[in-house]
Amino acid sequence: MTTKQPNNLPTWLEQPNQLTSQPQRHNFLAHNQQHLQHLLARLSQPLPAVQSKRWQLSPSISLLRLGILILLIALTNNTGWLWVLGLLLAGHLLQLSPSQLRRFSRSWLLSTLIALLVVLPSYWLVGPATVLLFGFKTGLILASTQYYRLTTTFQELLSGLKTLHCPNIFIMTLAIAITYLRMLGHYLLQTMMALDMRMVAPAKHPYRLIGTLFGNLFLKSHAYALELYAAMEARGFNGHYVNQPATTNRWHDMLTLTPYLVLVAVFIFGRTYGIN
Amino acid sequence: MHIPDNYLSPATCGTLVLAVAPVWTVAVIKVKAQIKEKRETLPMLGIAASLAFLIMMFNLPIPGGTTAHAVGGTLLAVLIGPWAAVLALTVTVLLQALLFGDGGILAFGANAFNMAVIMPMVGYACYRVGVKFKHPKVGLFIGAYLGINVAALVAGIELGLQPLLAHTASGAPLYCPYGLNVTVPAMLAAHLLVAGWVEAIFTVLVYQFVHKVAPTNLYQVTPQRSRRPWAYLLGGLVVLSPLGLLASNTAWGEWSPAELKQRLAEQHISQQAPQGMVQGLHFKALFQDYTIGNLPISVGYILSAITAVLIFLLLMRGLQHDNQTTK
Amino acid sequence: MALIKLTNISYDYPNTCGLDHLNLEINTGDFICLMGPNGSGKSTLLRILSGLETASQGDYQFDDQAITAAYLADPQDRQRLHQQIGLVFQNTDVQLFNTSVADEVAFGPRQLGLPEAEIAQRVTDCLELTHSSELRDRVPYQLSGGEKKRVALASVLALNPTVLLLDEPLNGLTIAAQQQMLTLLQTLQAAGKTIIMASHNFKQVQAVEPRFVIFNADHQIQADLTAAELATQPEQQAELLTL
Repeated sequence: MTTKQPNNLPTWLEQPNQLTSQPQRHNFLAHNQQHLQHLLARLSQPLPAVQSKRWQLSPSISLLRLGILILLIALTNNTGWLWVLGLLLAGHLLQLSPSQLRRFSRSWLLSTLIALLVVLPSYWLVGPATVLLFGFKTGLILASTQYYRLTTTFQELLSGLKTLHCPNIFIMTLAIAITYLRMLGHYLLQTMMALDMRMVAPAKHPYRLIGTLFGNLFLKSHAYALELYAAMEARGFNGHYVNQPATTNRWHDMLTLTPYLVLVAVFIFGRTYGIN
Repeated sequence: MHIPDNYLSPATCGTLVLAVAPVWTVAVIKVKAQIKEKRETLPMLGIAASLAFLIMMFNLPIPGGTTAHAVGGTLLAVLIGPWAAVLALTVTVLLQALLFGDGGILAFGANAFNMAVIMPMVGYACYRVGVKFKHPKVGLFIGAYLGINVAALVAGIELGLQPLLAHTASGAPLYCPYGLNVTVPAMLAAHLLVAGWVEAIFTVLVYQFVHKVAPTNLYQVTPQRSRRPWAYLLGGLVVLSPLGLLASNTAWGEWSPAELKQRLAEQHISQQAPQGMVQGLHFKALFQDYTIGNLPISVGYILSAITAVLIFLLLMRGLQHDNQTTK
Repeated sequence: MALIKLTNISYDYPNTCGLDHLNLEINTGDFICLMGPNGSGKSTLLRILSGLETASQGDYQFDDQAITAAYLADPQDRQRLHQQIGLVFQNTDVQLFNTSVADEVAFGPRQLGLPEAEIAQRVTDCLELTHSSELRDRVPYQLSGGEKKRVALASVLALNPTVLLLDEPLNGLTIAAQQQMLTLLQTLQAAGKTIIMASHNFKQVQAVEPRFVIFNADHQIQADLTAAELATQPEQQAELLTL
């Protein structure tokens, strides 16, 4: 390296910048930046909407409840049944705070609408009954998953899976995935901003840029993986993912699950008596 | 490509989870071996899962002003190895279903089957063929294109079979209301024309970049020493084959022409069985309908499965290179 | 007329405040050093100035043009702004994405459609100015932190921006390299470029006698002083030395 500092700049750098502009319709970077910023905002607020102090459900039970609910909705074709399940769900929704309920309704209505649009053309194929039943069931399933997502943190999901005897390596992978989604997402956003700063004309080969964007992201994730493994070893990682035991009331758990267990029993044995 | 809940019958979802389970088992065994050689593979699984998540949410511009997104199944298989990619993509699909509402929770097995198994495996196989012929990029391009299209085809079949598999007594479908004649063309058209090209170009460009900048970070194929995982996979499939009996209907795509006609009529799709199937080739399979003599039907299933596996193994054996040079 | 005029600028992050009612005027040829504790809003201000983010509230005028969300949403206007303003990121990893240093520096000029001979000239000049000529054929990904900083500056310079924004450009550089970079920035200022940098290295920066804009922990501007004015305020100096 030379230590001599060039004191005079090249002439092109001393002259003022000649601005050019070329017409362009669409900027894929700006759009994706927005998209990613939404995701990061969501990930940085992992707190659930509802944190009832008195009636805290253990994570495994709420996961189980979600599974039972979705399965029941998917299995039945009886509108009466769906009605009962809908009432049960509505009861849960009452626990949401007003603002959370509004947020829930907005995204739920939107996703149900999209599902309905997809199924609507089948009206001419198979008639109104199918469309109605399908729409009703899809709406209920979407509502129950949406409710679960609103009320469960990533940590709770992990400990729920752990209690349900998910393999350790799987839980660890999931935990790493959630953590690094935020870190990689942030890195990607920064890279896009840097690219945006130097996009002074419409990209001739946008795909080449995207290739380098994700190539870089992969190299970064590889570097993260090396660092993370070193850190894991340094902390005496032995291949076991240990979780803090949750302090919840088993009695509450059982009580909350009871209506669902009753429903499952009725569903299974009810067939003989023609209930569903 | 993410199939939401309520489009597939719970029975289909369950069957597909059972179908993926042996693949997961093999993947875990394979990845454990990979971890022994490259220890960072363990955290890489999780990080690659988040990488796949970001790939799937990135909107790629396509001519005409709209956007599409890549899935990155083939890419991940080449970057971190096919089996690690299976596990990482599975985690991605689960994350999307549970936390972001992309793809159903019950349909998790189906989505994992399409995007986490079929796509990286088909893509990686093509890539390996390309490497063998000294054109890895060509192999990768074809692999990425084929991978996503095969996955889309399978998704289309899964959806399109629903009206046949689950319907009320009057014939009204309970789940996805569209038949194969709608779902397969719809899925394939979108992917053959647009998404497949997007996926292929994206995959090759990212690969090209990594190959140029840090070629050592690509997944290196280690010479194969053991064929045991394949044995586990095939063994698992043989044991699982009587599951076919669980389905009360006849197996998918295994209808006789008369039955097909009846089914099609039920669906108001066509009043006639396709001509080619009526007059076409009629060869009697050795084990017609999997019953041999008076053996119980489940034994027949297992025997048929073992036969298929043996034929498969023989084929593989025939295509292999000899390890030792013959004198 | 000021080149950059910020009136009552506030910026809110989802949970916290980023900037609180900021007023600032910057003239062509200014050399400004933003100082303040971590998270006081220096980087946020640089991102707003560069047009990567828009303020939640307030007015930003660049060269008599209001920079609003609507202005930035137009790709053509956005690119026009980016031709005039260059930004060197704090984490230069994110900024370098090409497969060779020469390509990295040529990226901007090539987009502008300049003739190849001129692009080659610019690349050579910029690498020389930043003492990076020997890195020319290296892969940016494999460079050291300090080398990346220099290449990042070179790649921004190649576009000949009117305003140069730098987020902690001295981090990761040796003392000698820090002095080289500051001298280069001073030369650029003498040629009429406007330099705005965020930094913690009060001692090194003091030598080039910039105008100091000092933030407090409440995301507000606490003081706006020339180097001569700061010299008369030992308390303020002592505070800056602790950053």
